[in-house]
Amino acid sequence: MKHPTRIRWAVIAVALVGFALLVSAEGMWRDLLGALFPDYRTVVHPRGTLVDFTLEHLALVGVSSALTIAVGVPLGIWVTRRSGREFRPLVSAGVDLGQTFPPVAVLALAMPVLGFGFWPTIVALFLYGLFPVVSGTIAGIESVPPAVTEAAVGMGMSRWQVLARVELPLAARVIMAGVRTSVAINIGTATVGAAIGTGGLGVPIIGGLAVQNMAYVLQGAIPAALLAVLADALLAQAEEGLGVATG
Amino acid sequence: MTDSTASPTRFDRVALTGALVTLVGAAVLPFVELRANRLVPGSGHSLAAAGPWAFVVWGVIALAFVSAVGPSAKARSAASTAGAYGLVAAIAWALGAAAEGLLADMSPVARVSVGGGAWVMLVGAAILGFAGAEERSRFVVRRAGPVVLLVVAVAGALVSGGLDRISLAREFAVRQEQFVSLILGHLAITGASLAAGAAIGVPLGLLAARNRRVRGVALAVTGVIETIPSLALLGLLVVPLAALGAAVPWLRDLGVRGIGPAPGFIALALYSLLPVVRNTYVGLTSVDAAAIDAGRGMGMSRRQLLFRVELPLAAPLVMEGLRVAAVLLTGIATLTVFAGARTLGILIFEGLGQFAPDLILLGALPTIALAVIADIGMSALARAVTPRGVRVAVQTPAPTFAEEAAA
Amino acid sequence: MIRLENVTKRFSEKTAVDGLTLEVPEGEVCVLIGPSGCGKTTTLRMVNRLIEPTSGRILVNGRDVMSMRPEELRRGLGYVIQSIGLFPHLTVAENIGVVPRLLGWEKPRIADRARELLSLVGLEPDSYLRAYPRQLSGGEAQRVGVARALAADPPVLLMDEPFGAVDPLNRERLQAEFGRIQRELHKTVVFVTHDIDEAIRLADRVAIMRDGRLQQYDTPENVLNRPANKFVHDFVGADRALKRLVRIKVTEVMRPAPQAAIDDAPEAMRERAGAGRFVYLTDDEGRLAGWLDTDDIRDDAVADAITTVDRLQATVARDASLRDALSRMLGLGFRSIAVTDDEGRIMGEVTFAAIEAVMSEAEEHRGPTADGEGA
Repeated sequence: MKHPTRIRWAVIAVALVGFALLVSAEGMWRDLLGALFPDYRTVVHPRGTLVDFTLEHLALVGVSSALTIAVGVPLGIWVTRRSGREFRPLVSAGVDLGQTFPPVAVLALAMPVLGFGFWPTIVALFLYGLFPVVSGTIAGIESVPPAVTEAAVGMGMSRWQVLARVELPLAARVIMAGVRTSVAINIGTATVGAAIGTGGLGVPIIGGLAVQNMAYVLQGAIPAALLAVLADALLAQAEEGLGVATG
Repeated sequence: MTDSTASPTRFDRVALTGALVTLVGAAVLPFVELRANRLVPGSGHSLAAAGPWAFVVWGVIALAFVSAVGPSAKARSAASTAGAYGLVAAIAWALGAAAEGLLADMSPVARVSVGGGAWVMLVGAAILGFAGAEERSRFVVRRAGPVVLLVVAVAGALVSGGLDRISLAREFAVRQEQFVSLILGHLAITGASLAAGAAIGVPLGLLAARNRRVRGVALAVTGVIETIPSLALLGLLVVPLAALGAAVPWLRDLGVRGIGPAPGFIALALYSLLPVVRNTYVGLTSVDAAAIDAGRGMGMSRRQLLFRVELPLAAPLVMEGLRVAAVLLTGIATLTVFAGARTLGILIFEGLGQFAPDLILLGALPTIALAVIADIGMSALARAVTPRGVRVAVQTPAPTFAEEAAA
Repeated sequence: MIRLENVTKRFSEKTAVDGLTLEVPEGEVCVLIGPSGCGKTTTLRMVNRLIEPTSGRILVNGRDVMSMRPEELRRGLGYVIQSIGLFPHLTVAENIGVVPRLLGWEKPRIADRARELLSLVGLEPDSYLRAYPRQLSGGEAQRVGVARALAADPPVLLMDEPFGAVDPLNRERLQAEFGRIQRELHKTVVFVTHDIDEAIRLADRVAIMRDGRLQQYDTPENVLNRPANKFVHDFVGADRALKRLVRIKVTEVMRPAPQAAIDDAPEAMRERAGAGRFVYLTDDEGRLAGWLDTDDIRDDAVADAITTVDRLQATVARDASLRDALSRMLGLGFRSIAVTDDEGRIMGEVTFAAIEAVMSEAEEHRGPTADGEGA
């Protein structure tokens, strides 16, 4: 099984490098979009380079997702421990309800409460991203067969050892699936962040749609779509890898 | 009631959390914000602005704490529920009173809006209500309970006129007509694209269940569509549609153009495909193989097998897919406004553009409500199409016929 | 009647059934048996065309199955499988009514039929008609499965390990009921199992298969007494003699038993015993109440020599097999046991010696004729 896995990682690595080259090829975009839309005076968004937009986007998603994982996984673990078990129904119900909330609406609601800009957007993305991560963590840990944890306790493992050596490794794949969903939503929602001045690849899309400049739209939409698909493939591969490790 | 939780605590920690959250909201954060007009930043005012109503709120908060340490689980549950309803009502009245008081000698363009403290208190009330409902957490109580609570409170406040002076209500009063037409537009584009998604997705799921190659392609393609950010997909659709509309005038007259309802409709329908196709596929392939073997062995044709056995048994999962799609589309429909559709997104993004918090709320809150209603409604529908014999929890406890002792 | 003529089924590499020729006479139970992978299930499924033969012909009541529409063919063949496959979204009544509805029966007729069949398989119609499959125990579900297969009164029943997933106790009960139903209905049955005891118990004819080929096709008695080859010999097992007892009814080796009424005078009881040691004592309805052991009579105190017993425990019914009688006797430590008729009256007794004689006869038997029903 080692070989195909390595090949897939290599493919993803090559695709990432390809993506990096694509967004940094300023001239290519200018020529290509210019040829496609000869009537437009400008074909690339004036506010920044594609590299700027991509980095802004990655910063939003990276910071919020890191926070989400740092808070969501421990929260999910806590409600499956004895000390937090009472809160398990509340957290599950909250997470279920939260996941029915549209992410854009949550992002919009953060503005009146938290204000505009980078950090309020991060907070909104972080909060929304929590839902799939927490529910994935709970589902993952609860999918561990009780017989397995009982055996671990019977072998003399402490509670921490049971968690670290048995439950988390077995739950890793499901937790990773939650993280993957969370990141996918964050990448999508971060695109909308452009409407509230946080930059990102949404800037040329929204700007282009507003002024009917289709070149701008493509300049933002193509990298945004590729980024999302790439990130998803990367996390799917990581998920797969965890499955093999515990398989 | 069996108290299965391990710790034999004499108090309800969940209810206590709800009470604490409410207390923090009331004590630390501004209850309302007063602004000179609808666009400028405002100044925060504490619960005290509500005058005598503040004491009522404090009283209910005290009751909430008492409810968490009641003598029996049953008493705690009843007190928590009462506390939750009481809190929502008291907060609503206090908001009205605070607005009344603060606006007494201000210019007519001044606005009082709901502050962070009031929102946090409402969250605390929801936790309290959940703690009360937990014991008998039926589907309806768990899912619909909080919504009913909120709708009753808001409706009550609106009917009594208590919230008329709150800026959200004033924003609504100003835009009433536009608001109604946008909600209808939102429902129309969501419903139409969901119907289209179902019309394509269910047969596609059926094909996927029958044919390995179709399954691979269908699940991969719909999966990739699902990961593409909505705005990007919208953008990728606008460009070719604009070109097509420009090149073919009669198509343009039919509504095929870059800006208008077409790209939004197509994007939403595409997004609905993954949940519908996947669930139809899973539903059909998870039908017990023995039931299918028995059906064939009894002489059912493929059609009869599909319509009398497979589809009825797959229906709950198909409906579940439609539910996921409906919730998803309700949210994404806000973004179609960038391509010229008319949905609640107009209020949200106009509000964001003008830095007008009330307008954002006027768009975002109903969007959330629509998504939650879609979720509850479709869940109920999914239960309705679930054949009685396969319901997970049958309403009346199923009589179990023990193998009779004397044969 | 079912005829298989030189039937072969090949799955890409593997030959599942190889040149099988077999005839099941009308009204008989043919049990296909063999180790897993021997082709028994494939054979069964070729009869109703769930699998189509590679070559050869299969005739059901004289018609080539390949000449009929599969759906039409199957509606005329009852089909019961191990996993039952009741439709979970339909009630018991609706499950039973599936084939009648496919055949376009009137609603009242379907409803009547469902009631009738539930009674036939031993389930109280009023409690079960509206139940859903998930409310049934394994044994109940399989009874409904049998009722469903019988719904349109097909002349032929195909049963694929129907009692394989039921616990041993219920399996025996279901086998007994199947025997009763078959005696009543006289269906032509093809029955697949891997349980040799079940085969011997239920079959009119046993077809033992291995690697897709028929090893022996004969009555259970002949299979037990004269295995055609070493494979059959080993497959049937070392306890052939014991197995054979399943096929023999107690009434076949029963002898008259001395009996007296329990309120008779001691002298009368003694007299009835004659040369024997025991005399069965009956109540006023002729049912077993106890017995008198003449060896235990000391100083004419007859009462002390009487043992009273629970008549259900200490007797076997007239339709019991010798094996039932033997296991009952071993369990109770008896050397003989009373056989009762349907009213519980004593008909006679079976002795350990008689059973022993049957067993040794079977062990030594190599001659051309078998006792019992004969070949």
